[in-house]
Amino acid sequence: MSGVFTKSMARNVFYGGSVFFFLLFLGLTFDTVRALPKRDMRQNITPLVAEGKKVWETRNCIGCHTLLGEGAYFAPELGNVVTRYGEEGVKAFITSRPVDGIPGRRSMPQFNLTERELEAITAFLKHVSTIDTAKWPPNNQG
Amino acid sequence: MQYSSQAVAKPYFVAAIGLFVGQIIFGLIMGLQYVIGDFLFPAIPFNVARMVHTNLLIVWLLFGFMGAAYYLVPEESETELWSPKLAIILFWVFLVAGALTVVGYLAVPYATLAKMTGNDLLETMGREFLEQPLPTKIGIVVVALAFLFNITMTVLKGRKTAITSVLLLGLWGLAIFFLFAFYNPVNIVLDKMFWWYVVHLWVEGVWELILGAMLAFVLIKITGVDREVIEKWLYVIITLTLVTGLLGTGHHYFWIGTPEYWQWVGSVFSALEPIPFFALTVFAFNMVNRRRREHPNKAATLWALGTGVMSFLGAGVWGFLHTLAPVNYYTHGSQITAAHGHMAFYGAYVMVNLTMISYAMPLLRGRQANSEKSQVLEMWSFWLMTVSMVFITLFLTAAGILQIWLQRLASDPQPFMVVQDQVSLFYWMREWAGVIFLIGLLAYLASFFVGGRPAEARAS
Amino acid sequence: MSSSRTSSSSLVLSTPRVLQGDIAVWIFLLAELLAFGVFFLAYAFARARNPGLFDAEQAGLDRQSGLINTLLLVSSSALVAQAVAVVRRAGADASQRAAAALLGAIACGLGFIVVKGHEYAAHFAAGMELSSSTFSMFYLGLTGFHFFHVVLGLVVLVVLWRQTAAGVYRPGDANGLESGAAYWHMVDLVWLVLFPLVYVMH
Repeated sequence: MSGVFTKSMARNVFYGGSVFFFLLFLGLTFDTVRALPKRDMRQNITPLVAEGKKVWETRNCIGCHTLLGEGAYFAPELGNVVTRYGEEGVKAFITSRPVDGIPGRRSMPQFNLTERELEAITAFLKHVSTIDTAKWPPNNQG
Repeated sequence: MQYSSQAVAKPYFVAAIGLFVGQIIFGLIMGLQYVIGDFLFPAIPFNVARMVHTNLLIVWLLFGFMGAAYYLVPEESETELWSPKLAIILFWVFLVAGALTVVGYLAVPYATLAKMTGNDLLETMGREFLEQPLPTKIGIVVVALAFLFNITMTVLKGRKTAITSVLLLGLWGLAIFFLFAFYNPVNIVLDKMFWWYVVHLWVEGVWELILGAMLAFVLIKITGVDREVIEKWLYVIITLTLVTGLLGTGHHYFWIGTPEYWQWVGSVFSALEPIPFFALTVFAFNMVNRRRREHPNKAATLWALGTGVMSFLGAGVWGFLHTLAPVNYYTHGSQITAAHGHMAFYGAYVMVNLTMISYAMPLLRGRQANSEKSQVLEMWSFWLMTVSMVFITLFLTAAGILQIWLQRLASDPQPFMVVQDQVSLFYWMREWAGVIFLIGLLAYLASFFVGGRPAEARAS
Repeated sequence: MSSSRTSSSSLVLSTPRVLQGDIAVWIFLLAELLAFGVFFLAYAFARARNPGLFDAEQAGLDRQSGLINTLLLVSSSALVAQAVAVVRRAGADASQRAAAALLGAIACGLGFIVVKGHEYAAHFAAGMELSSSTFSMFYLGLTGFHFFHVVLGLVVLVVLWRQTAAGVYRPGDANGLESGAAYWHMVDLVWLVLFPLVYVMH
């Protein structure tokens, strides 16, 4: 290759280009945060939903499941689980997990959730299922 | 080793390798749980094993980065480390904090751990990769800041090079973006969006600066190519990385409730993300071909070239495979993601750390390079680990394609667990590839104990 | 590069086939052009899927402003090219004349910002935003991405102007000027594709 190629110019381009694209990214982040209220159904985040998120986090559910496709891939997607099984179905599944698991098969631990925690986690998952996710997942199976 | 304070890097490298072994053992446990669902249940449920697997990975990579910084900064800056004592104190703080965290994960249920460690004060736990209890998170910040202070002071009092500037920028970025780990809004969409400020801006942003700086340093040392040449290519490559990678964050904003324009932004910029990795590969091979000396450490050269190739394959090619929004609609959250994650992390960050360790460890042990015998064993471990990782990736990709077909594309989609049973053959093969990986890792460990006369530079 | 160093007059007569500007900048430009190129393709793809929407919303754009802006950018680009040529040719007060040309280029660039700013103000007043439709996403996304390139380009031009006025660049030693000029021409070039594509073609 002929032509000049200097380290100082390469450095300038690096700093200039990085700052430029970082600012663009911040700008888009700003626009997204502004546009989110139309999509994230925040009006439905009741104290119970907030409690449910805490139940979700303190049981490390994301360590096996995906939620809106993010998490571990060991157990089913839960972003749409309430649409799949219904609220009662979800609660029944959680409460009926055997303490010692199922021989030879994957099983969710028995978390011994209280009635209130059970209501909360279901409310949280129900809330997640209402978020506008650009029609993801492709079908009910997640 | 030119400066005595570089020696503090040694415990960091040793700890990194030790934790790496732990990571792989837990990986094998998880791999087995994929096919024998009740393995170690309920003592170590999958989510606990995964937490240990991923957190050990992050912690050992950080140990590697810190060790690399302690090793290369004095040499680049041509001055002793600002405070070797601080570096040693931080080593023990970080190691004990990390060990206690892992013990906490394994000893008590996660909900109990959360209660014990003050998660109620500030809820930060229970999010993928950021599972650490609050005290650990604060510990990470404190260690990172003290480490950065030490390194920055060293750079300030010595010679400033492109490599140290880029490294410092990467390390400071690492610390700053980690602060988003403390932001956990009740709104799950916001939570997920800014969670990527840690995860994506780490691995597809500032960590790549660290990677570039480490690789550039080793290439200067082993090839003897002019610093000017290597440093300007370093700048060009990391420019391409950030130009594509920053807006490339958009590929995580397709289906989590964020506006749909991200499908376009994310697809376009992340489609360009293979370019910097390709440039990195070409760069590494080019520099080695133009080498001006025959460095006796052949193993380090192999790791350096491997980093280029495998990061291009793992991060570049396997990333591109599922990054376009219409494709990602079907692949999102499937085993394809797992396949990409494994090869990308191994190819980029594991291998660059092993490159650095391979180059620096013999010097830290008082010789320019290990004996021929030791190097041969190390190169065997390179091939065993790298080839088995390729197979892990291929098997997971096969599992992923089948999973997507059965669960998402077929006219009669089947439930998740039904599909998992049908792809178990690939999970078995992945597990066996994992066993080969462990054998490779053991060979790697053994190579440190093979003695013999240090290899010497051949006259060229 | 050797030929351009030997004599300044031969440079003008037999334009040497050497890349003007720094390779580091060219690699960056190619990456940027690639990004713009993929976006243009994406635009074409999205338009083909929904020509009705694109035609309807395109009709609401201010083509006159677009045309003025095209003229402004082309003139600006020409002035920058002139500045480079003047510096290369050397001669009496070359630096001052080149700086004057750059100042003119900066003025044109600022004109672009003002006109485009007016357009945006009208759009935002009408409630247009990135997520209001596929067309508005592309229109605001593409022109916005370009707009920020103009802003960055202006910053570069101001630096070049000050350096040139200070006499930093000389024949055979104008790498910075040539590199910045290359960037500005790229910004112009992108607009020359963007304007017909987004404002005119239907």
